[in-house]
Amino acid sequence: MGYQFDFSMVIKILPVLWRGVIVTVELTVACLAVGLILGFFVALLRVSPAAPLRFVGRAFVEIFRNIPALIQLIWFFYAFPIVIGAQLSPFVAAVLGISLNTAAFSAEIYRSGIQSIERGQWEGAMAIGMSRAATFRRVVLPQVFRRMLPAFTNRAVEVAKVTSLASVLSVHELMYQGRVLSSTFYRPLEILTTVGLVYLVMIYPMTWASAAMERRMRRRA
Amino acid sequence: MQQYEWDFGAVLAYWPMLLQGLWGTVAISVLAIILGILGGGLVATLRMSRHTPLRVVGTIYVEFYRNTPGIVHFFWVYYALPVVANVNLGPLEAAIIALATQSSAFYAEVLRGGIQSIGKGQWEGATALGMSHTEALRRIIVPQAARRMVAPFVERSFEIIKTSSLASTLAYGELLYQGMQVASITYRPLETYTLLALIYFLLLYLLSSLAKLAEDRLQEV
Repeated sequence: MGYQFDFSMVIKILPVLWRGVIVTVELTVACLAVGLILGFFVALLRVSPAAPLRFVGRAFVEIFRNIPALIQLIWFFYAFPIVIGAQLSPFVAAVLGISLNTAAFSAEIYRSGIQSIERGQWEGAMAIGMSRAATFRRVVLPQVFRRMLPAFTNRAVEVAKVTSLASVLSVHELMYQGRVLSSTFYRPLEILTTVGLVYLVMIYPMTWASAAMERRMRRRA
Repeated sequence: MQQYEWDFGAVLAYWPMLLQGLWGTVAISVLAIILGILGGGLVATLRMSRHTPLRVVGTIYVEFYRNTPGIVHFFWVYYALPVVANVNLGPLEAAIIALATQSSAFYAEVLRGGIQSIGKGQWEGATALGMSHTEALRRIIVPQAARRMVAPFVERSFEIIKTSSLASTLAYGELLYQGMQVASITYRPLETYTLLALIYFLLLYLLSSLAKLAEDRLQEV
């Protein structure tokens, strides 16, 4: 006996998987863009001098970090439309859920970045007559972006992986295509293995880049 | 637009189902954490081995799991593994295997990170005192590394609890799956999924507060 791995199946499904890859990339880019922008504002709340704003920022982060991403996606697809009284497409629900989740995690990256900038930098900038806002924008932020680049790249890896959950809402991304193909052809081994490898090929370069950046920064420090 | 009337009562009437789901979540999470620590020890040993082939195997294992989405592992174990291994797996076994193998990869990195963070001098000192490699590891390195591993270890364990919600896609009766049943019986997805989110939030928030307490204690020693 011994199972015959059918390679022709792999070739046959690649065009369909490719369509899934495109949707996965679209989802990843959209969620990362919205999440990073929103996360920046959440981080501003988190480091605000006003306690109520800090509380709002903290609540946002804790809520989205302590609830499984899959629950968030399902909530935005099945529950949120009842609140707003309008149906959302699976894609929009997925973007909403994943973006807010990403915002919470990236807010923590911005925050630790902002807090890692030494007090002397603030004092120096103020001493040459810069306002608090100008110091933040022109001295602190550029350094935050540079220092936190590996962490943001890791976030991108997580986002790319989380988009696979959108298959549960029937968004036609890579995992969804894999699930449909696997139940159509009864060849789960070939198909799901290929799907796994496609994800690996998409995601590994980002992991590698993040590690390379970290190594380079450590050497410079 | 008509005002939606919230009714948690209808959902709460099914509390025994949700409680059963919560038990399912706790059961597979605890099992996956225990198996993941054992597997992680093994993988970390491979990763740090003096023999290149073993190191390569360990690295491939870790990189594969770090660079592919969890849901792919769940589907692969449930649908593809039985084809390769010629075994029958129920949703429970499949979910535990998927969760445990992926957490092995993440725990392995926690262990390796902790051990490699200990300075070379500690090894040299131990060897100078006449300790063997194993003895030095057990009596000098691990006790110091353990303290540094607590925080990442706790973080990884929380990820496992959150990831266990993916077992719902294999129709294993953990919290999310039970919640989906309740939502379709009661036609109350808004209340059900909001309640589920709340349960997860409380569970993880409670655990993270406990972990923080334990961590602070440990640092004082």
